[in-house]
Amino acid sequence: MPELKLANLNRAFLIGRLTKDPDVRQTTNGTPVANFSIAINRRFRSPTGEIKEETTYVGIVAWQKLADLCRQYLAKGRAVLVEGKLQNRSWETEDGQKRSTLEVRADRIEFLEREYRAEAPPHQPETGVAAPAAEPYAEPAADNGKSDDDLPF
Amino acid sequence: MAELRIPTINRVIIAGRLTRDPELRYTPGGKAVCTVSLAVNRRYKDASGQWQDDTTYINVVCWMKTAELVNRYLHKGSPVLVEGRLESRSWETEAGQKRSVIEIRADRIGFLEKAPGGEAEVDE
Repeated sequence: MPELKLANLNRAFLIGRLTKDPDVRQTTNGTPVANFSIAINRRFRSPTGEIKEETTYVGIVAWQKLADLCRQYLAKGRAVLVEGKLQNRSWETEDGQKRSTLEVRADRIEFLEREYRAEAPPHQPETGVAAPAAEPYAEPAADNGKSDDDLPF
Repeated sequence: MAELRIPTINRVIIAGRLTRDPELRYTPGGKAVCTVSLAVNRRYKDASGQWQDDTTYINVVCWMKTAELVNRYLHKGSPVLVEGRLESRSWETEAGQKRSVIEIRADRIGFLEKAPGGEAEVDE
């Protein structure tokens, strides 16, 4: 029988709420990149029977069109579904120490609330304003952070 | 229609190899806890068409029976499949700095190597 190879598998699915407004910047060559973190709550019963809540904070990074959509529609407190892969991020502290953490590089972010920052100014007169025409829903094609030609918008 | 509520989803599935032998400890209450560090590889073609390897290092924690089996059957280099959830832990160093780590809390670890005596898969 032919030898097997190890599956290329690195997938995360998370639902949480933004802990802050997304930080959207451009790299030196003009590529937009969004960083934010989400809080994921989990409820569980402790051994003594009490219901407890535990929060996990996960950093998310999104590139290209997806980063632009984050800037447009996301804000602190918004609920999102994030699909992507785990990757390491390392940096140096001011005193020269190396640190690294895990984050999720999103390739799909679904906005889970029907009212969004861009469509919902606070004091809009009631003139039958409809829900957003298109669901803000983004799925960049390429994983290499380069191609954005064949996106559905 | 009834209003929706946001479901809790925190699911991770990865396949990789152990970068070192597992470390088994016991809590003061006698529960087994095992930590393993995984290297997860991704192979891709760069802009010039060359194959490149991109490795992500991820710490995985498992408990109880899974912890014991992982410690008994796995070693540096073993291929595994891990399914679980992300957990963050934070603490303060003695110097008062805040630190935090994110790791996977495994609820399933699949052993991907045929080994005599090893179970194919352990569920918690």
